[in-house]
Amino acid sequence: MRVLVVEDEPDLLGSLLKALREDDYAVDGAPDGEEGLYKAQVNEYDAVILDIMLPGIDGWELLRRLRKTKKTPVLMLTARDAIRDRVRGLDTGADDYLVKPFDVDELLARVRALIRRSANQPSARLEIRDVVIDTAARTVSRAGEEIILTAREYALVEFLALHRGKLVTRTMLYEHLFDEDDNTLSNLLDVHVSNIRKKLGHDFIVTRRGHGYCIEGLP
Amino acid sequence: MIFNSIRWRVQAWHGLILFFVLLAFGFTAYHVARDNQLRRIDEELQERLAMSFHMPPPDRGPHGPPQGGRPGGEERPGKPGFRMDPEHFREELSKALQRAASSEAGQISSHYSIMWECEGKVLARSTNAPADVPMPRRAETYSPQAEGDNSPAAPRKSANPFGSFRTRGEFRELFGFTPFGDCFLVGHSMAPDLAAMRRLALWLAAAGSTVLVLGLAGGWWVASRAIRPIEDISATALKIFGGDLSQRINAADTDSELGRLAAVLNATFARLEAAFAHQSRFTSDASHELRTPVSVILTQTQTALSRQRSENEYREALEACQRAATRMRRLTESLLELARLDAGEERMKRERFDLSRIARECVELVRPLAVERGLQLECDLPEVECVGDPERIAQVATNLLSNAIHFNREHGQIRIATQADNGTVLLSVSDTGVGIPNEDLPHIFERFYRVDKSRSRIHGRTGLGLAITKAIVDAHSGTVEVSSQAGQGSRFTVKLPSK
Repeated sequence: MRVLVVEDEPDLLGSLLKALREDDYAVDGAPDGEEGLYKAQVNEYDAVILDIMLPGIDGWELLRRLRKTKKTPVLMLTARDAIRDRVRGLDTGADDYLVKPFDVDELLARVRALIRRSANQPSARLEIRDVVIDTAARTVSRAGEEIILTAREYALVEFLALHRGKLVTRTMLYEHLFDEDDNTLSNLLDVHVSNIRKKLGHDFIVTRRGHGYCIEGLP
Repeated sequence: MIFNSIRWRVQAWHGLILFFVLLAFGFTAYHVARDNQLRRIDEELQERLAMSFHMPPPDRGPHGPPQGGRPGGEERPGKPGFRMDPEHFREELSKALQRAASSEAGQISSHYSIMWECEGKVLARSTNAPADVPMPRRAETYSPQAEGDNSPAAPRKSANPFGSFRTRGEFRELFGFTPFGDCFLVGHSMAPDLAAMRRLALWLAAAGSTVLVLGLAGGWWVASRAIRPIEDISATALKIFGGDLSQRINAADTDSELGRLAAVLNATFARLEAAFAHQSRFTSDASHELRTPVSVILTQTQTALSRQRSENEYREALEACQRAATRMRRLTESLLELARLDAGEERMKRERFDLSRIARECVELVRPLAVERGLQLECDLPEVECVGDPERIAQVATNLLSNAIHFNREHGQIRIATQADNGTVLLSVSDTGVGIPNEDLPHIFERFYRVDKSRSRIHGRTGLGLAITKAIVDAHSGTVEVSSQAGQGSRFTVKLPSK
């Protein structure tokens, strides 16, 4: 999962990036509105965490412009908690709202929920045949036994599971699993898929040759 | 409870007054009508009697004939035979009485006549005379309050030449005595007249009641209309009490007393709302300013504590927390200072000092910062005396200088000058920075107002510097003004009294 954080307070931006990265997100940061808007428009993010008070383009304006082209889920961060502001944020196209000062755990949970919702998977537990993916605890189990996955492997499984029944291209995987600083070689993806198949069964991920990968939609 | 309502009280008084006015009017009207009726009946009785004697109607008035009961009452008609022969007189009188009681053109007469001799024996009576007519006593003619006659018409009996009137039940009777002691009486049944009077009374009562009801209804309407603005005012005030400060009284007629009251109240409400809005914006701004550093501390500590970290990572987290805490300290200090200035708790000293000396000290204080940014500091500081709190004025100068440094361009200039001007002293600080857009100029001294909504945040500025500056200058009864040209720079001028 790839997340963009737009926040002008450097210390806050730093700690948010760190917290998200440690939760195995691919994360990009932007210290002002212009850069945030540019990144949000150019890249495919699974969620955007957006501060309202920003230099240059403020959060409202960024959201308004972003909504013209993208449906990326947006969580707004603000120090203003007047209902008027919240309503305005949601009406402008924000998907969720968090008032500063917030709890990091709550922020992470809200980001997870946002991503699930946008993939039409409202439950935190995803079940695919005998494989259960707990997106809250970030664990995978097969027939009741926990399977240890690396962070990359887990992210890949989660992304495919959230888009089950749909073809996921290699480009999509690159865009959603690696942040802008990642210089991963393309064949690394095949290595991860092969490792996942070893752990969760060969049929768990289906390869559509020349197109990408897919997890069956039916349980 | 209900009688405490102004509308009800107005209505009650109005109704009461109307009721008494109507009552008095009806009573008077009734009595005037009754008097008129009685007078008409009396005149008719007199006329009939006079006609029956072939006499002209009695001359009435102050110069009328003498008292009716007097034996000489009948002398005036001038029938000399009356006096000569009692028998003839009696006969003539009886005939006259018969004529008086007779009807015209075959109608049953409503008049009757009776004649008694002095002992009370009936000499003659008309056929339609009631059976039980008592013979009047002579005394009755002298008594203004004859038996059964307590009507206002009673005193008038003295003014007729034949005798006296009396009312007996529904009969009105005119009687007199001849010089021979015989008594004669002509009567008239007032039954139809009394019925008419009852109808009049009924009609008056009905009309009075209608007018009263209409009056009450009209009064209610008028009172309601008069009260409505008060109810509007009270409803609006209640809504405002309930927290909706945007409510205003709908004052259509601004010329009436209540309209003017409504206008005054509306103006008051507007001021209240503005003050509340100002206060709530300030609180919201202050909490907003405090929330960001709190968020930094929370996220930094939560992230740092979520797993084992290297010493370096802990150090970074602690440094970030320290920066946030420093910012909060600066902010809370500024907020407290503003609160004290607002409350007037900060007593400004009043000492005479040289403004240029203070300015020079401040310039030396900020010089390292200016040098760091490659700025040139120009001083034009002739000695000027002013009165005030030198420490506070130094704070003003430092604030302005630090703004000038902060918002200047690289290698720009800052100019600080003092000047004496006609009872005041001026301290001006100008820079060569980006300037302030015209639309922002009126707000520049407002708390937390920022031209660039967040640029200053990064540089750790509170957004309260100019507000504090203005509060201090205000406390010195001075003024602070700003002029600016976009791209050229800004110039702040503080004017202080020199005495």
